Amino acid sequence: MAQFISRKDLLTWLAGLLQHRTVVAPVIVQGNVLFRPIERTEQIVFTSEKSVIPPKEWFFRQNDVLFTVLKKDSGTEISPTVMEREAVLFGIRPCDAHGMAIIDNVFLGNPADALYAERRAKTTLVGLACIDACPGGFCSSMGGGPQDPSRLDIMLTEAGDGFIVQVITEKGNALLASARLSDSSLQAAAPPELDKAPAVGIAKPMERFFNHEYWSRVADRCIGCQICTYVCPTCHCFDVRDYQAKGKIERLRTWDGCQSALFNRIAGGHNPRPNRTARLRQRFAHKLLYFPKDYQGVLGCSGCGRCVVRCPVNIDIREVISDMQKLGVENAVGSA
Amino acid sequence: MEAPEAVRANPFVPYLATVKEITDLTPDVKLFSIELNDEAARKSFDYKPGQFAFLSAFGVGESAFGLTSVAYRNSGIEFAIRRVGTVSSALHELEPGATVGVRGPYGNFFPMDEYKGKNIVIIGGGIGMAPLRPVIDTIIDHRDDFGNLTIINGARTPRDLVFASEFEAWSEAKDTNVVLTVDAGDDSWTGRVALIPAVVKELKPSHHNAVAITCGPPIMIRFTLAALKELGFSNEQIVTTLEGKMKCGMGKCGRCNVGEKYVCVDGPVFNFAQISKFIEQF
Ligand code: SF4
Ligand code: SF4
Ligand code: FES
Repeated sequence: MAQFISRKDLLTWLAGLLQHRTVVAPVIVQGNVLFRPIERTEQIVFTSEKSVIPPKEWFFRQNDVLFTVLKKDSGTEISPTVMEREAVLFGIRPCDAHGMAIIDNVFLGNPADALYAERRAKTTLVGLACIDACPGGFCSSMGGGPQDPSRLDIMLTEAGDGFIVQVITEKGNALLASARLSDSSLQAAAPPELDKAPAVGIAKPMERFFNHEYWSRVADRCIGCQICTYVCPTCHCFDVRDYQAKGKIERLRTWDGCQSALFNRIAGGHNPRPNRTARLRQRFAHKLLYFPKDYQGVLGCSGCGRCVVRCPVNIDIREVISDMQKLGVENAVGSA
Repeated sequence: MEAPEAVRANPFVPYLATVKEITDLTPDVKLFSIELNDEAARKSFDYKPGQFAFLSAFGVGESAFGLTSVAYRNSGIEFAIRRVGTVSSALHELEPGATVGVRGPYGNFFPMDEYKGKNIVIIGGGIGMAPLRPVIDTIIDHRDDFGNLTIINGARTPRDLVFASEFEAWSEAKDTNVVLTVDAGDDSWTGRVALIPAVVKELKPSHHNAVAITCGPPIMIRFTLAALKELGFSNEQIVTTLEGKMKCGMGKCGRCNVGEKYVCVDGPVFNFAQISKFIEQF
């Protein structure tokens, strides 16, 4: 017997949570699905369409004030940004929960990024299982799956006139105290079949063919627009700069991306990745080679497919993965 | 005033500090002597030669700079900073008494203990001398722990030689040879006019029981490395510090990686045996 919540009771539950917490959920902003704090539950969109920007932005924001500096007569004062209210992040797809788990390695690793850690600790993750396969997605090849509940606190799976409720953590259990759940014999639909990219063992050919001309062939059509980095749930690079407004100074952290020519250029002019080939390879090598090396085998891609769908010149990480694997196989045969 | 817990727990929040003294080292390099405002912070701020810290010019930004001083002297934190970017330019505009921010120290360091008993060759080009100065000071302050010390310091012109006021004291130390060289002399210059790699070849320091520590512009490093290898130095015996675009110092911002290594965490100090194994060659 599974636990069940009707659509109506779900909205009532969320409306109740809104009184004491921030609820962040998928809404439509100028035609795009994005995760935003809501005021009313009617704003939530239930759509199989993935958010354009992954919900990691609740923890690692596109623009974040790390701290504010105030210059007073008594001296300079620094006040770091803190999170005021507990939050619920509602409607997370399993690939995006996986993405957060991947970048947790970076932000929660010693020394923990205080703001990210605080937001992560004070936010409960409510997932929505995928009923339909999404364009470009290949989550099941990357150690996740369309209905994988791990890395979430609560998982909801659409069934009948509501959702089957899986409680995954104690945090999730506590949040559900105010929800009207019932027992139900409804069965969730079978998970959809996703595209496949054979990622097991990918670090090996990535290392071996690091200097292969393959990379310049792919990079040849890259226009360096960086869209792939901005839509990715596991891209975590950032810039830090100061912003002055009305007598106060803000130290801002902003997303940055490795496809920009200025990303690595150091003061004085030396640019260690001076061409597109080096930069394009950096993005794939970071996810498929450096990440597993730095974090005990963890691959730096959740298979969400956003970069696949959004790249204006159809550079496709699934293709890169299989091409690299192919190179590995061909050369293993050739050298045998 | 004690910093509130939340402030200290956030690794991006710098210590507030006061600029005590600013000294012109060359036309575009200044030495900043800085003291942390908080007494407890002053006591706990410990660092080793080769490590770096971020210096904030509030309102302009922060940048990473090598620590130019040695911690055990307890005489404030020093940075030798060349005016090259927006932050360094803003720092150059400051006057003593200005409030800045310091966070750090970050990175690994020169393994001074491993160098004990060895002959040390220090080769610095231009502002590359900045991270080498704490190495020199450590050796000179513990002179009997180390073998011969050779310092080769080069710059574009005589006016660009950093730490010029310290050369005399260095060369008066026991078994210490200071060699200065410039790319182009001026009317009063009577010393060498030669590129650093040529000076290395001419001086022929022995690789026996020796370690060479070099820092400077990439092109100088490349030819100095070749010269040292010609003299029999192995990759393990040649050490340098790498530069990277750095925004965090904690392996998070993703700006300073060379392959899977982060210069800010795994470096900045590497020997050439390590560098030659990097998957990316810069
Ligand atoms: S690399 Fe592409 S598929 Fe992988 S997590 Fe990032 S956006 Fe999704
Ligand atoms: S989205 Fe495509 S074209 Fe744009 S930077 Fe990424 S790989 Fe290159
Ligand atoms: S400075 Fe941010 S990762 Fe090295």
